[in-house]
Amino acid sequence: MLTLFQARSVITMNPSMPRASAVLVRDGMIVEVGEPENMTPWMQDEAVVVDDQFAQSIICPGFIDPHLHPSMAAVLLPMEFITAMRWKLPWGEIEPVINPEAFDRRLAKLHEAKPAAEPLFVWGYHQLWHGPMNKARIQGICEDRPTVVWHRSFHELYMTDAAMSMAGIDPAQIKPGMQIDIENGHFFEVGLGFAINRLNPWILAPEQYAAGLQRLKQVVHHGGHTSIGDLATGLFNFDAEAQALAEQLEGDDVPFRTRLVVHGTRLTQGGRKPEEGPDMAAALLSRNSHRLTFGRHIKLFSDGAFFSQLAQLQEPGYIDGHHGEWLAAPEELERHIRAYWQAGYQIHVHVTGDLGLELTLDILQKMQDEKPRFNHGFTFEHFGFSTPEQIRRIKALGAQVSANVYYLHELSDSYAKAGIGFERASQMARLGSCVAAGINTTIHSDFTMAPAEPLNSMWVAVNRQNHVGDVMAAEEKLTQQQALEAITINAAHTIGLADITGSIRAGKRADFTVLAQDPLTCDPMTLKDIDIEATVFEGQVFPIA
Amino acid sequence: MRNDLCPITLIGGYLGAGKTTLINRMLADPELPQDTAVLVNDFGDINIDESLIRSQSQDGTVLGLSNGCICCSISDDLSKALDQLAKLPISQVILETSGVAEPARVWQHCHYPGFRPKASVVLVDAGHTALRLRDKYVGSLVKAQLDQAHLLVLSKTDVHPDFRLDRLQPMIESNDPNLLATIFGWQQPTAPERSIESRASFGAHTWHQTQTVPLATLQNFLHSLNDRVHRVKGWVATDRGLHQVSGVGSTFALDAITDLPKPPALGLVFIYCSDVDSQDGGLAPDQITMTLSP
Repeated sequence: MLTLFQARSVITMNPSMPRASAVLVRDGMIVEVGEPENMTPWMQDEAVVVDDQFAQSIICPGFIDPHLHPSMAAVLLPMEFITAMRWKLPWGEIEPVINPEAFDRRLAKLHEAKPAAEPLFVWGYHQLWHGPMNKARIQGICEDRPTVVWHRSFHELYMTDAAMSMAGIDPAQIKPGMQIDIENGHFFEVGLGFAINRLNPWILAPEQYAAGLQRLKQVVHHGGHTSIGDLATGLFNFDAEAQALAEQLEGDDVPFRTRLVVHGTRLTQGGRKPEEGPDMAAALLSRNSHRLTFGRHIKLFSDGAFFSQLAQLQEPGYIDGHHGEWLAAPEELERHIRAYWQAGYQIHVHVTGDLGLELTLDILQKMQDEKPRFNHGFTFEHFGFSTPEQIRRIKALGAQVSANVYYLHELSDSYAKAGIGFERASQMARLGSCVAAGINTTIHSDFTMAPAEPLNSMWVAVNRQNHVGDVMAAEEKLTQQQALEAITINAAHTIGLADITGSIRAGKRADFTVLAQDPLTCDPMTLKDIDIEATVFEGQVFPIA
Repeated sequence: MRNDLCPITLIGGYLGAGKTTLINRMLADPELPQDTAVLVNDFGDINIDESLIRSQSQDGTVLGLSNGCICCSISDDLSKALDQLAKLPISQVILETSGVAEPARVWQHCHYPGFRPKASVVLVDAGHTALRLRDKYVGSLVKAQLDQAHLLVLSKTDVHPDFRLDRLQPMIESNDPNLLATIFGWQQPTAPERSIESRASFGAHTWHQTQTVPLATLQNFLHSLNDRVHRVKGWVATDRGLHQVSGVGSTFALDAITDLPKPPALGLVFIYCSDVDSQDGGLAPDQITMTLSP
């Protein structure tokens, strides 16, 4: 049976026919896009259902976030959010909380709403907005309820006395000099590890984790996605994660597919050589199901976390003189890359700073010299800091870029003032140059590092406005067309799904995101507020209330 | 109060500086106190499979670590490992840092409930350090490693006799007798067989078991090992059930095991002495595989 979806306009992302008014679908596959009067040859001998529920709407190719972390999200999403930035979540929009008083008011509300004795986990605290935190402040509000306040960066948390006794932490064990300030209930760095190891029964309990993945499923749907990339499967524990993903993200009620890209260094951890990795990764293909698929992709890591200012920078570095971190020795990264390059894999490397990028470019150059490859899809993931000269190298070496453009929104102001100075901070996520150079360029959320809302990522890429309202390096703005390509067809190329999704043309899966306004012609400042009415995954409509 | 806390000695230094060699020597050394725990960086070039070497038997406890950031993995391996060790009757910990770690950062991490940092030992590769100090990617890291050491231990001076220590302007503080005991006789002239000038060095090889082996074949194989194999450990599934193998020198113990809390990784780790004549200590990996995996 055929279904004819009609729309105010169909944005195809197929440059040969950019606009249409209808899409004809059979068994989840697009048989023709264009004008209904041209589709009659299909419809002569077959029943047709005309679906006009989107007749006043815009049909886009299903959105794709090519880099997020379902496992991290599953841990975070059961928590309550108190954040300085807006988060649009399916169960309610989290309004920005930008001063200490408002933080305390919201905490009090959460406390009152929760049944007595149930522990309260709050995520999103940041001292810049919410003022100094300590145990006494939380206990002044939440009294004897076990309460944990987690920093936005994930790198520190505060716990009340009740939470410590719940977790079995004996304050007498804690000596001065440890990365724990017991007076203030503050746990950081390895002290955070100490706390988490004891909080795990609450945050990583299987039913909690499953509930977290269910929430992730809603978040992904509400963001308008029909495909996502899990860009480090095996982050915590490969088998446990793979099983939970198979249980929660497969099945008829799941409105999206997930490309699983395995964490390369975790894969061979425990006595395996990097050279054994390609065969081990290939063996995972036998686990593929309809929605959850491994491909010949691998994830590797260069330099440290962007949010912690541990990105490795070229001169002149950070203003305070500190250095970033390598996540692996350059020789080790090269050895892993070589193993997968030789085996023909598409390699995704986490790079945050311009020195991390330079190192990875040097290694890629070496690989091209040793064994030239075309269409290899080598992808720079995150792409925080870069230089114009590096853009030329990326192009020359045939690589592509998947950027966390949200860095620019949340961090460019503070990094300009305390970090690296205005010039380089304003040029984070140098995306206009990438597109101009003809590099396949996509944008991602790295959720939970940024909201899993492709329209929000698109809004940042198009407007380059940071959280205080300043436009940073307007020359690097993407057009609305380029940004929509970034979250559809370009993203599909990046995670190896372009043959089945990412645009609307005959032969691809019927994956659509249905919008109330036209993202190519609307006022660019309204992009992030466009209503997403529904998604269509392989022909099946999943409305968004 | 201070002495209640279990001391941690850090073994640092860039990739290839000799951390694994030093730790392998320690593991092979009878002077290693029985209640020493060793935490190895699992990401190293030669992996010592943690689950294979770890054992409740007579010698040290070895756990594997890997690099990572707490925000990316919800927990970090070091705090997990220290929590595990806190339950065991150990008197000291030797911690191999990652080759890209700054000792001062790891030092902070050793202020962990039940533990305290004792010393940062950093291995200095006589052949490559001068060059690495000028490397655009790791120059500042290698300098920080040298600056932050309490004790610098030179390695590979045998292959680089022209190396001049004063070029590095090192800070050597070796007055702590306990610290020296921890590092064994590495710099003691009375122990030439362990000195860094020795031409012998240690390597490790891991054999992963994929199919059941007859017990008799395993026994014959273990008897056939030559004396360059200093240590063999692991778990092997045989036709007579799961056996734990623990060999030191020419003697080995083979115990049937039934009550492990979870199935161990199957295989054997060999720590062997390699010399000029025999790079792999007479242990051809293919030979092991052929003998034990017919």
